[in-house]
Amino acid sequence: MVNLEDLKKEASAVLKDEKVKYVIGYQKSSNGLMPAPVFINKPEDVEKLIWNPTCIHNLTRFLTDERQRKIKEKHPDERPVGLIVKGCDSRALVVLLQEKLISREDVYIIGVSCENAGVVDEKKLAKKFKDKKIERIEFDEKDNIVVTTKDGKTKMAASEILAERCLECKANFPVIYDVLLGEKTKRQPENPFQSLEKIESLSEKERWDFWKEQLSKCIRCYACRSVCPMCYCDECVVDTINFAVTADTTAEEKAQKIKWLEKSPVLSENFVYHFIRAIHLAGRCIDCAECERVCPLDIPIRFLNKKLEKAAKELFDYDAGFDPDHPSLVASFRDEDPEDFIR
Amino acid sequence: MEKVLAKKSFPQWVKILSSYKIFAPVEKENLWNYELIENPEKVNLDYLNTVLSPKKIIFPQREIYLEFSAENEDGLKVEEVLPDEKPSVIFGVRPCDAKSLTLTDKVFGGDFEDIYYWSRRKQMALVGLSCSTPPSPNCFCLTVDGSPFSKDGLDVIMTDLGDKYFIETLTKKGEQLVSTAKALFKTPTEKDKKDLLKIQQEAKKLIKRQVESIKKIPPKLKEMFDASLWDEESMSCIRCGICTYLCPTCHCFDINDEVDSHSPLKGKRIRTWDNCQFPDFTMHSSGHNPRPDKASRLRQRIMHKFQYFVERYKNYQCTGCGRCISQCPVGIDIIEVLDKVRDYGA
Amino acid sequence: MERNTYIPKLAKITHVKEEVSGARPIKTFRIEFQEKNGFSFKCGQCAMLSVFGKGESMISISSSPLINDYLQFSILKMGRVTSSLHDLQVGDTIGIRGPYGNSFPFEKWKGKNLIFIGGGIGLAPIWSVLHTALGKKEDYGDLMLIYGARTSKDLVFKEELEELRKKIKVHLSVDVEEPDWKEFVGFVPLNVLEIKPSPKNAIAVTCGPPIMIKFVIQNLEALGFKDDQIYTTVENKMKCGIGKCGRCNIGMHYVCKDGPVYSWAELKNLPQEY
Repeated sequence: MVNLEDLKKEASAVLKDEKVKYVIGYQKSSNGLMPAPVFINKPEDVEKLIWNPTCIHNLTRFLTDERQRKIKEKHPDERPVGLIVKGCDSRALVVLLQEKLISREDVYIIGVSCENAGVVDEKKLAKKFKDKKIERIEFDEKDNIVVTTKDGKTKMAASEILAERCLECKANFPVIYDVLLGEKTKRQPENPFQSLEKIESLSEKERWDFWKEQLSKCIRCYACRSVCPMCYCDECVVDTINFAVTADTTAEEKAQKIKWLEKSPVLSENFVYHFIRAIHLAGRCIDCAECERVCPLDIPIRFLNKKLEKAAKELFDYDAGFDPDHPSLVASFRDEDPEDFIR
Repeated sequence: MEKVLAKKSFPQWVKILSSYKIFAPVEKENLWNYELIENPEKVNLDYLNTVLSPKKIIFPQREIYLEFSAENEDGLKVEEVLPDEKPSVIFGVRPCDAKSLTLTDKVFGGDFEDIYYWSRRKQMALVGLSCSTPPSPNCFCLTVDGSPFSKDGLDVIMTDLGDKYFIETLTKKGEQLVSTAKALFKTPTEKDKKDLLKIQQEAKKLIKRQVESIKKIPPKLKEMFDASLWDEESMSCIRCGICTYLCPTCHCFDINDEVDSHSPLKGKRIRTWDNCQFPDFTMHSSGHNPRPDKASRLRQRIMHKFQYFVERYKNYQCTGCGRCISQCPVGIDIIEVLDKVRDYGA
Repeated sequence: MERNTYIPKLAKITHVKEEVSGARPIKTFRIEFQEKNGFSFKCGQCAMLSVFGKGESMISISSSPLINDYLQFSILKMGRVTSSLHDLQVGDTIGIRGPYGNSFPFEKWKGKNLIFIGGGIGLAPIWSVLHTALGKKEDYGDLMLIYGARTSKDLVFKEELEELRKKIKVHLSVDVEEPDWKEFVGFVPLNVLEIKPSPKNAIAVTCGPPIMIKFVIQNLEALGFKDDQIYTTVENKMKCGIGKCGRCNIGMHYVCKDGPVYSWAELKNLPQEY
C-alpha cells in the first residue's frame, strides 16, 4: 500500500533541502470528486497532497510549461522540478527524454506505484453511484476499491470501476524514478489491445459511420491536444500561425505557412485534425488517455491512438516510453523492419 | 397568463407548433445537447443541463458571411449569405442560459448591429425550464443576479410540478405559443399555485455555491492588473478552449476566408468561434503578443467577465451555470479565483 | 447606418508606389470605389481591406478626408494578408469596409500649435491629420513634423516630405550614421529632446513602433506636455472591426471601435496590454 504520509515526507524532504523549485502533485479540488494539480513550493504545504484512485492527471504535461518558462526568463531557476508520477505518466516522461525536450536533471521523479490497480473512470463511477455524492475513494489491501458515500461504504473489484486503460496497463509502477513509493507489482494484461476489439470487429462501413458520427460532435476546443504531454510543438500543423516567429521571420515565410485545415468545426476538418494528431503521436503515445477524459463531448479518441500503438507493436515490436536511451520509433529503423512498401 | 400542462400532453404541444423550427435538449450517449427536433414525440425535458448552451443555435459555431467568386467575365462578385428566417422555438432553456442571451444581445447589438445574430434572434422564442433543483453542483446563479426562476430573456417559463408543468407566459411571443395549442392547457388550481411557490422557495436554498460580497470584486479587480495571483492560479491551466466554448456568455469569434477553388477564385468568408485562452488569439503578425502567457490570459478572462463587461454594460458577464467549473480538465474553479480576488492582499 | 457592415464594397487600385523596398517593404496604394458611393470618414479612422481568399487587414486611412477622389493606404508587408496586398497591382479589385474607429478631436485643437512625431510606417496615420490641418491652416497655430526611421531608405513619402518642407518645419532623423545624411542621427525620442518643442498651447500627435511611442511620451512629459496634450494611435490584432469579436479588447475598450485614437490621459488608465 502506498502510504500518503510517506509521499508527503518525500516531497517535504526535497523541498526543505531546496533541491527542487517546486513539487507538482495532486490536491483535493474545490469542486467535485476529481483532484486538481497542485504546485507546492513550501515544505509545509505538502499537507495538501493526496493520493488515491482519482489521481488521474498526467502531471508530466506541466514539464513543457516549465521549459517555456525557463526559455523566457532572463535568470531562470535551474533547479529541477519535483514531479509525482504513476507508471503511465513516467512513460510520458521517458518519451520527452528520448526526444530531448527535457534532460534528466530537469526533473526529480517521485514515483508512485498503482500496485495492481489504477485510477477510476469518472463515467463508470457516475453510472454506478448516480446522484450520490462520493466522499472518498481508496484502495484496500486486497486491491479492491472502497467508495464511501453518505449511505456508507461500498466495496467492489477494482476492475469494475477502473479506467479502460488501466485494464490494459503495461507499466504498473514508474519505469524511471528517483524514489519509488509502493510495490513493484507486475501486471501483464492478457490482451493489451482488448479495448480495440469492439471497433475492429465492425465492418469498414460501420467504422466509417461510427467516426462520422463521433467526429461531427467535435467543437475543436483542442483540449485533447492541450492536455497531451507529447503535443508540445510551437509550430503545430493544425494552427494557421507559427508560434516560433521572431523579428527576423520574413513576411514571405509567414505567408507561405501551409493551411492544412480550416478553423471551421465541420466533419472534414475535424477528421483531418484528429487523424493528423493521431499519426503525429504514433510511437509516442503512452495511453494515459487524458485526451479522451478531457473531451467535453465524450469523443472516444483513445481508439485512434490505441490502434496506432498496436500497429507500432505489430510492425516494429515497439513500445513507447520505456527506455530513454532508445531512439524514438519514427527516428530510427531496424534491419528487420517490414519493407513491403518498397516495390 | 398562467396555465398548467399535463406532462403527457407536452409532446402534443410540440407537435402543434410544427410550423416553427423546434430545438430542444436531446440525449446521446449520456450527454445532452440542443438539436433540431424532427420527431416531436421524442421531446423530453427530463434533463439537467446541456454541454453546450443554446447560444450555439443563435450564434452558431460556424456562420457564412458571404461568398465570393471570380468565375465569369464580370470579375469579382461578392454576395451576402444570410441565415434562413423561419420562426423558431427553443424548449428547455435554463434561466441562466436565457439570461446569458440578454448579455450577448448587448454585444451583438448597439452600433453596427450584427445582422447574422439578429436574423436568428428576432425570430427565436425561448421556452424556459426553471430549476427546481440545481442542475449542477457548481451552479451559482444567485451570486450573479440570477435565480433558478429568473424570467430574464424568456418568453415562457415552465416549472415541473411532478405530473404536470406550471406555465407562465412572459411576452406576446410566449402567449402566442400557448394560445396556438389552447385546448391542451388548463387553468392552474390553488394547489398548483401553492406547489409552485413551495418549489420556488426551496430552489433558492438548494444552491450551495456562491461568491460572497461579489460587489467588491469589480473595483478590486481594477487595481489587480499586476497581481501575482494570476500567475499562481494559472499554473495548472493547459490553455484548452473548454471554459470559453462552453460558456453561454462568451462571444469571441474569428473571421477567415475558405477557398473552394483558386482559379477561378471561389470561396466563402466564415465566422467561427474563437477563444481568448488560445495562445494565438491576440498575437500580431509581427510575433508580438500582448497576452503571451497563461497568467495574462486568465487575468483577461476574469477581468473581462467581472470588471470590463461590468463597466461597459453594467452586468457581470457570467450567469453562474457552472459549466466551466465542472468541465475544466485541471479543476480551475472560477468561484475559488473570485474568492481569492476579493480577499487578495487582506 | 448600413444594414450589414461585414460586406465589403469593391474598389479598384488606381496607384501603387513602393515607398520602401527590402526586408520590410512598404507600399502606398490609392483606391477608388467602383460605384461613387461617398465613403466619408474622419481623420484617424481605419478601414478593413479585403483580399478575397486570403483575409482582411485593418489599415489606417492616410489620405485626408478633404480629398474626395481616392483613399490612400500605406501598408507594411508583415504576414499573410499584407503579403497578398503587396502582390496587388493597378487595376486589381479589393474589398473595403468601414470607416471604423474614432477620430482625432480637431475641434479641441483650434488655434493650437500641432507637433507631429512619427517613426517608420507610423507616418501613415499622421499623414491624414497633417494634411487635414494644412488644408485649414488658418484654424491652427504652427505645424511641425518630427519624423525618423531606421535608415534613410526606410523613410516613407520621401518626395512628399521634400514638398512639405516648403510649407512647414520638418525635422528628419535616422537611427544610425550613414554617409550623406546631414540631419539628426539617433532615435526619434532623442530628436524630440533635441528640438525641444514648447508645450505652450500645443498638441503633440505621435505614431510609430510601440517602443518609440513609449519614449516619445516620456520625453514630451519631461518637456512639460500634460497627458491631455499628447495623442497617439494604438495598434492591435483586429478581425471584425466593430467591437464584437473581442480580439482587440483592452480594458473595457475595443481598439477598433473606441480607439485607435487615444490621448495619453485616456490611454494610461487602460491596462497596458497592447
